Amino acid sequence: MSSKIDSRVPKDSGAKSLDCFAAIQSPWNKLVGYQESMHWLSRYNSTFSAACMQALRILEPEYAERAQDMCTAVYQKLYYTMQKFGKYQMDQHNIHPFCRGSFVGALVGDSGDDALMMCGRVQDFGTYRAEKELDICDWDIVGSELCRATTQSLEGGSKSWSENLRPGTQLEYHMVEARGCGDCHCRIVAESRDKYPMPPHAQWECFGPIATADQIKDTKPEDMVEESMVFRGETGYTFANGTNMEDDSNSVANLMRRSSAAAGYIFPTLSYLLRMQKVDEKTVDHVFHCVCEAAGKAAFGERVAIQAVRDWMGVPNTINDGRVMGGYLEMYFQAMGLEYTIEAFNKDEVQYVVDRNNLTVYNEKMADAFVAYWYGMTKTLVNAQWFLWEIKEDTPADKLRIRIAKKIDKFC
Amino acid sequence: MYKNIYRYDEMKRKEHMAVRENVGWYLWTHQLVEVQGADATECLDLLFTKPICSIKIGKERYTTMLNEKAEIIDDVVVFRLEENHYWVSTLFATDLIRWMEAHKENRAVEYSNITSQYHMYAVQGPKALNMVNSIVDTPVDDLKFFSFANNSIDEMPVMINRAGFTGEKCGYEIYVSAEKADEMEKILKAAGEKLGAEEVTEFQVMAWTLPTEAGFYYMRDLRHTNPLEVGLDKGIDWEKKFIGCEALNKIKEEGPSREMVGFTVEEADIYIQSRHYGGPGEAVYVNGEEVGRVYKLVYGYVKDTNIGYIMANKDALKVGDHIMIHGYEAVITEKNFL
Repeated sequence: MSSKIDSRVPKDSGAKSLDCFAAIQSPWNKLVGYQESMHWLSRYNSTFSAACMQALRILEPEYAERAQDMCTAVYQKLYYTMQKFGKYQMDQHNIHPFCRGSFVGALVGDSGDDALMMCGRVQDFGTYRAEKELDICDWDIVGSELCRATTQSLEGGSKSWSENLRPGTQLEYHMVEARGCGDCHCRIVAESRDKYPMPPHAQWECFGPIATADQIKDTKPEDMVEESMVFRGETGYTFANGTNMEDDSNSVANLMRRSSAAAGYIFPTLSYLLRMQKVDEKTVDHVFHCVCEAAGKAAFGERVAIQAVRDWMGVPNTINDGRVMGGYLEMYFQAMGLEYTIEAFNKDEVQYVVDRNNLTVYNEKMADAFVAYWYGMTKTLVNAQWFLWEIKEDTPADKLRIRIAKKIDKFC
Repeated sequence: MYKNIYRYDEMKRKEHMAVRENVGWYLWTHQLVEVQGADATECLDLLFTKPICSIKIGKERYTTMLNEKAEIIDDVVVFRLEENHYWVSTLFATDLIRWMEAHKENRAVEYSNITSQYHMYAVQGPKALNMVNSIVDTPVDDLKFFSFANNSIDEMPVMINRAGFTGEKCGYEIYVSAEKADEMEKILKAAGEKLGAEEVTEFQVMAWTLPTEAGFYYMRDLRHTNPLEVGLDKGIDWEKKFIGCEALNKIKEEGPSREMVGFTVEEADIYIQSRHYGGPGEAVYVNGEEVGRVYKLVYGYVKDTNIGYIMANKDALKVGDHIMIHGYEAVITEKNFL
C-alpha cells in the first residue's frame, strides 16, 4: 500500500460471517445493498441531470426551440444507434418475424423502463396502438423537455427497428402524462395516424392530448407499484415482457450505468447545438461550470444532509476532511461499476484515477460537468477550505484524475 | 372510464371475423431452424416430448420442449421434410439453438437458423381452400391437416402447409422465398379481393384474439408451466426418454399443483391486469386467499365478451364458478370460446 494511503479495515473483513457482499462498500466498510444502491444511483444521476438541464436552459432559453433541438438530437441518436445494434436487440426482445411496423419498438421502452427502475405496466400493445404507464420515474425532476425527448428517442429507435421487418404501420409516440409535470403517472401512447388521425404538429409537441384518450387504462394509486419487476416477489424477481423476454436484476446496473438523462439526452443535445453552431464552446463550458458547481454546493447546504450522508457511509466522528468526499465518490464509482485507483486517501489529500469513458458514456463535456458538481459538493460536505479539481498533467486521455485537498484560491 | 380496446374497434372485429366467417390472410412468418444429419431424429426425440421418429415425411407435429424441471421452454411445430431432414417452426430460435447446442453431445446433427430465407403467409377461414386453390398451380383439396407439400404460384416455388393458429378447420400456410414476399402479397391481395377476404394486419388479432378463442397458447402463456398444468400432455410419449421426462413423470404421479382454466367477463370496460403483456397478472382471490393469476385477457368476438385464462391452484376454480377479479364479475369456463 502506498504510504499516501492510510491503512483501512480490509474489504473482506467479516466476509466469513456473510454469504457475500452484494453491495457497495464505503471506505469505512458500510455496506449498501444492491437494490438500495441502484435506487441511490438512479436519483444521483437524475439530480446531476437536473443541473445539466438548467445549464441547457440558460444556453437555449426558448422552450420550444430547446425542446425541438432535444427531440431532433435524440431521435437521430437512437435511430442510428439502432441501425447498428437494432438486430441484436430485436433478437434479445424476441421480435417475431411476422411483426411489421414500429409498434415493436415499444418493447425496448418497456424493458428499458424496468431496468431504469421506472416501474409500471404495459396497458396496450398492438400494431396500431401501444400504451405504457409508469408509477415511478426518477427522472421526474429533470424537466419536461426531457419527457418530450424520451418519446422521440423511442420513435427513432422504433422506426429503425421496423426497417428490419416487412414494411408496416409507423406509430407516433406521445407523452400523455408525466410525473415530472405533476401527473400521477408517466404515460406514453403510440398511435397510428392512419387509424387514429390527429392534426399535424411539430415534433416537440409530442406531449398532451391524443386521439385515443378514451382507451387510456389508468391505474389507481392503490394499485401502483414501487419497484421494478426484478425487485418484486410477485414477478419472481424477473422482468418479463409479452414476447417472453426475461431478465434479472443485473439488467438494472447494466442499463443504469450506460444511461442517465444527462448521458442519453442532454449531452447529445449539447453536441448537436455545438455542431449546429447554435452555441459556442466557451459559453457552454462557463455555463455548465457555474450551474453544476452551484448544484453540487446545494446538495449539502444543510447540516442534516451532511450528517445523513456521513451516517450512510459510516464515517467516524473523528474524520472531517477530504476523505468524506472521497468516500462519497467511491460509493458512486462502485455503483456505476467504474474502475478506479486510489492514489491517496489520508487526512491531507485524497486522489483517484477513474475510467473517464465509462463515467461519461463517451459524452464530451460531461467530465467537466462532474468535476464542477463534485467541487461544489466538496465545499459543503467537507468545508470551504477543501477543493476538488482535475489533474490533467500525466493523465492518460481515457482517465480522469481527481484530487481533493486544501488550498487557497482567491478567484474561486 | 377506460374503453375496451377490442370491443369497439371495428377494424379488429372485421379482421377477426373475416377469419371466422369468410377468409383472412396475413404475414405469419415464424422462425425456422433446419435440422439435418444421421442422428437428427434421435436428437429431436430427446428434445421434444412427443415422438419425432413416428412423424411421416410430409407431416408435422406440434410439441413442447422442456427443461430438466419439466418447465416448458418452447412449443414448436416439427416438419419432417426427409428421413433425416427437419424444420422446426418456433418463435424463439435463439433459445432453441442454444438448447440443441447444449444437448446434442456427439450426435451427428447439424442445425441452422434459416428464418431469413422464407416468409410465410397464413390463409385462414371457411373459404381458405377456395382462396388457396385460386392461386396455386396444383389444387390442395387432398392436403390433410398438419401435412405439407410443394406447389407453385405464378411459377414461384412454394410449400403449402395445412395448419394454422386460429382454430379454423380450414387453414393454410404458404411458405415462399423471402425475396418473393412483395410478389406474394400482391397475389394474395388480388385473390382475396375476389373472395371478399380481409388482410389481417393487427398483431393483437393474429397473436391473441384468434388463438385464444380457440384455446391456443402464445408462448408467454406457457413460460414456467409444465404440460400437465396447461393441458399439453396429450400425445406425450411417456415411454421415451426426453429432457424433463423424469420431472414430468413425477409431477404426473403426484398430480399437477396448478391448472389453466378459462374465464369470461361480461362487463365490457374492465380494468384487469393480464400476464400476457408481461408482469405478474391480476391476482385471483377466493375467500380472501390468492388462488391464481390472470395469464391472458383478450376479447372473443364470436361470443362478444372478454375472454382469458387463469393459472389457478388445482381444483380451486371450477367451470361455472362466479368469482370477482379486481371488482369485476367473472365466470370460469373451459378454455375454448368458439
